[in-house]
Amino acid sequence: MSREEILKKYEQTSDNLLAILHDIQDNKDEHYLTKEDLKNVSDYLDLTYGFVHGVATFYSMFSLKPRGKNIIRVCQSPPCHLMGSTTISKELIKILGIKFGETTKDGLFTLEMTSCLGVCGVAPAIMINDQVFGNLNTDRLYEIIEEKRRAK
Amino acid sequence: MKKRLDVLICGGAACIASHSHDIKSKLIEKINEKDLTDEINIVETGCMGPCELGPVMVVYPEGSFYIKIKEEDVDEIVESHFLKGRPVKRLLWKTPEARKIVEEKKQVSFFEKQKKIVLSNCGLIDPENIEEYIAHRGYEALGEMLTSKTPEYVIDTILNSGLRGRGGAGFPTGLKWKFTKAAEGKEKYLICNADEGDPGAFMDRAVLEGDPHSVLEGMAIAGYAIGANRGYVYVRAEYPLAIERIKVAIKQAKDIGVLGNNIFETDFSFNIEIRVGAGAFVCGEETALIASVEGERGQPRPKPPYPANKGLWDKPTAINNVETLANIRHIILNGSEWFASIGTEKSKGTKVFALSGKVNNTGLVEVPMGITLGELIYDIGGGIPKNKKFKAAQTGGPSGGCIPIQYLNKPIDYESLKELGSIMGSGGLIVLDEDSCMVNMAKYFLEFCLEESCGQCVPCRIGLKQMYDILEDITLGRGKMEDLDRLEKLALTVKTTSLCGLGQAAPNPVLSTLKYFRNEYIEHIKEKKCRAGVCAALFIAPCENACPAHVDPSSYLSYMSDGRFREAYLCHMEKNPFPIVCSRVCPAYCEKKCSRDKYDEAIAIREVKRLFADWAIENEMGFAPPLKPKKKNIAIIGAGPSGLSCGFYLTRLGYKPVVFEALSEAGGMMKWGIPDYRLPKDKLKAEINVIERAGVEILLNSPVKSIDSLKNDFDAIFIATGAHNVSEMKIEGSDLKGVQYGIEFLYRANGGEQIDVGENVIVLGGGSTAMDAARTAKRLGAKDVRIVYRRTKSEMPAQIEELMGAEEEGIIINYLTSPIKVIGKGKVKGLKCIKNELGEIDSSGRRSPVPIEGTEFIFKTNLIIPCFGQKMSKGLDVGKIVLNKRGFFDVKPETMQVTENGIFAGGDNINPSAVVDSVAHGRKAAVNIDKFLGYDGKLFDKERKVVEVYYDEEKYLKTIQRKKSHFSNIEERIKDLALEVNMGLTKEEAIEESRRCLHCDRGEPVIAEKEEAKLIKIEDML
Repeated sequence: MSREEILKKYEQTSDNLLAILHDIQDNKDEHYLTKEDLKNVSDYLDLTYGFVHGVATFYSMFSLKPRGKNIIRVCQSPPCHLMGSTTISKELIKILGIKFGETTKDGLFTLEMTSCLGVCGVAPAIMINDQVFGNLNTDRLYEIIEEKRRAK
Repeated sequence: MKKRLDVLICGGAACIASHSHDIKSKLIEKINEKDLTDEINIVETGCMGPCELGPVMVVYPEGSFYIKIKEEDVDEIVESHFLKGRPVKRLLWKTPEARKIVEEKKQVSFFEKQKKIVLSNCGLIDPENIEEYIAHRGYEALGEMLTSKTPEYVIDTILNSGLRGRGGAGFPTGLKWKFTKAAEGKEKYLICNADEGDPGAFMDRAVLEGDPHSVLEGMAIAGYAIGANRGYVYVRAEYPLAIERIKVAIKQAKDIGVLGNNIFETDFSFNIEIRVGAGAFVCGEETALIASVEGERGQPRPKPPYPANKGLWDKPTAINNVETLANIRHIILNGSEWFASIGTEKSKGTKVFALSGKVNNTGLVEVPMGITLGELIYDIGGGIPKNKKFKAAQTGGPSGGCIPIQYLNKPIDYESLKELGSIMGSGGLIVLDEDSCMVNMAKYFLEFCLEESCGQCVPCRIGLKQMYDILEDITLGRGKMEDLDRLEKLALTVKTTSLCGLGQAAPNPVLSTLKYFRNEYIEHIKEKKCRAGVCAALFIAPCENACPAHVDPSSYLSYMSDGRFREAYLCHMEKNPFPIVCSRVCPAYCEKKCSRDKYDEAIAIREVKRLFADWAIENEMGFAPPLKPKKKNIAIIGAGPSGLSCGFYLTRLGYKPVVFEALSEAGGMMKWGIPDYRLPKDKLKAEINVIERAGVEILLNSPVKSIDSLKNDFDAIFIATGAHNVSEMKIEGSDLKGVQYGIEFLYRANGGEQIDVGENVIVLGGGSTAMDAARTAKRLGAKDVRIVYRRTKSEMPAQIEELMGAEEEGIIINYLTSPIKVIGKGKVKGLKCIKNELGEIDSSGRRSPVPIEGTEFIFKTNLIIPCFGQKMSKGLDVGKIVLNKRGFFDVKPETMQVTENGIFAGGDNINPSAVVDSVAHGRKAAVNIDKFLGYDGKLFDKERKVVEVYYDEEKYLKTIQRKKSHFSNIEERIKDLALEVNMGLTKEEAIEESRRCLHCDRGEPVIAEKEEAKLIKIEDML
């Protein structure tokens, strides 16, 4: 869906700002917002560019840098830690060859941290885009990443 | 149409993450294949609660509760259960203790003590089907209110019910509505706060996913009460499934006319919209949430004005939490009196808790307010895994605090938690065990708030950072004592001056840990010690950190993996001169903290040690006495492990100390307390001989009468007289002949006396002494040996190896039994006992045994051996030295010095404990005696280096079971006091075992670069 089509879905009221930013970002493989996006949105909602930029940088889920097709978020909550999220983090760094906050060269993966995913019962957990994976171990992690690689 | 079976499969996020969707499609496929679609109804429900057992599934009418189902199990379930009516037992829930199979859901201990109101539909209905909700009286409450009651009536009902906000602060919901209704303005709003951000809390997610209509109905009723026509659900973006389910629910509700315009054909209209957050924890704060709904940065606004007067777009707004709203319809349907009858005086109804961390059953539980923490953790949560010790419960997430063990029996409600320095919060409850470091825990939560601070106000933005830096210093071993005061002051300033709830509550974890676990902070600062083994900068490896004497297994295991016995032995001797003894009787604190235990099994460190210890004696390893001894005289009183260790290290510091021993042989409890079958006396003798050859003079049969008598001849004195006295039994008949205390009994037996024990022997107690006494009595020819212990097996202080050995040897153990009277005239004829049951949880965190009246019974016996703990040895006049309340020496932990200068004490006469504890005292005293005499106290002064050996990761970094010791034949050993029970490992096995070491000591750089620190921080946490 193009940016214009997305904008048309929403009423021109400022409370739709977060929803529009989510929508634009989710409709790109690179999961990010360009300056042009922010400019267009600010025009559409009759807000200043500065205001929209302020909102986009306040919330951790919006990015102004291109990201991978799959955003891997590793849960940082204590229950996940207790169950070994450190190993999961280390393993992901090893498999993907990137650090947290970085994107792989092929544009497939971005590695991020997230606050509690609310699935503490199956810790350690990660979320890839909208999908949650729990009870992880190293083998399972390899499978998931391989699956995502094949799906490109 | 009612079908033969209802199959409810959990579609909560946790179960989906464990592939419940795959199971569901496989089930459907299989049922189609077997042509059972007309007989079996498959429903995907919301969260059922016990998440860690997922995917879970319940089959009605029987209520069979399936756990941890795998795709390959589906065939068997369909074939056996659905077709032949035989549930697949191996997949049903089993009780943790007995591994008993529980066939019905309602018998499962996890569910038994719960009371489900909010979660009543979760796991029972299909959340995406409004008809199922309606079938469970859905939208009935809304209909009744709209068509026959006034908004005032609704508000009064909620007020009278006593319902308080479940988001954390506990403000009365009815009052909030009353204020909003009374506020001026035509346009009003209702917001449902579903921005559940506390780590470890996930009840709102479960309700939204499992029973979304109950929230929508609650919102509509609230809207009617306050006069709002528009409501918003503000939900965090991390919950995509919840968002999806509310969307579906809103659409269905609109389609049938229970939401939208002119609901139930009345004048009342109510529309609900969803607003999705974007990853900002602070948006859970109501004013920040309002800003976010308006499309702004989620920064809090000052209060007053309160949202009830000036909220969304400056209009009166009521903000209620998901769980609060889900309660509404139940209160309307059942009446406020019903609701007020549940809970405590000031906190009514139930509360949903999310149990996580170190507890057996994790997941969501709903319990009446006023339940105790102990019931929550032990009865519902199933206790702490791996029999570890409970340390604290963290409630309320980063805004809450930690509650220590002595409050396990405290009923939980809003007030009691506040009193304890914590908060109810959203209901997250993280259980921490002995492996959690409280300083690091506080640091973790502070870091969380620091990162989530919106940065608007100074106390929160800068104050939290300052606090964090102090905590970081403490965990890295750079802390100072004055830091604690600074930390406390800063915490109070941030708490009182921050703009919003985030900053005001952020210091709570620090304040509550400072209150209850201040000694852990002090240990970090003064002793550079992290008892939980978490703050990696403070130790070499977890095993070394766990050892009281700080023996370094990483190094000696490396040497052993290379077959370098000599170096392994020397490495051990630097910290502990009793490798023979400790390889046989040590409780092996090191193995309990071994990192490999998380992977497969802990390394058999103790058994590897035995190989080089025995090797050293066979090869006559030894140490030369000091060539030019320092010209100071040091006296040691008592030749037990502490006295001899002190002596040995004094020789390494250049002294020739003298040991005065009252008895005819050296060794103390090692000689007189521990039987031969656990520690052969010739081996002990050889080990003591090494110490003598190193320059320690032992004078046997030389009791010291008073400390003062030594003062003229000696420059320093170390008192290690042990604890050879007993705690007396106080029941009737304790003075009869035939009552012989454990230590006295073992003395005689270990001294070689042939004691006539008779046929039936009863040993009282559950510690090592009790095990030793019972097993010795067996070897002396008793036919029937019985141990009577008042608590249960899991609470027994004896080592598991001893307990298993005793059981194998045919010793009977009567748990939950207490002695009440010794029967006999002049001589013991029997023992009257009573059965106990477990009562309330006491301040030690254990359930106290309570006698059951009418269960008295009598054992026939002529010998009763009570083993109830030790008291300090008598016979030494301590002069002016002050003892503590328990009658033991009080020493400064840093120096081991008693209340008088130049006099030091250690071993059992400070606190009766294991050999290795006494060794640690002796060594520390030696170092401090050297300092006291004007020297530098440097022992083996060289920097530690990682032992370089080849490490075959490929081969040893996969599951390899721990090597098991060989044991002597049971029939033979019960006839022979001297036959060693544990024969250890072979040389090859020991070397192979040492190669399993993961080498934590090589680990990561201790103080990492800033960039790296980001990654390591999670590791340091907890």
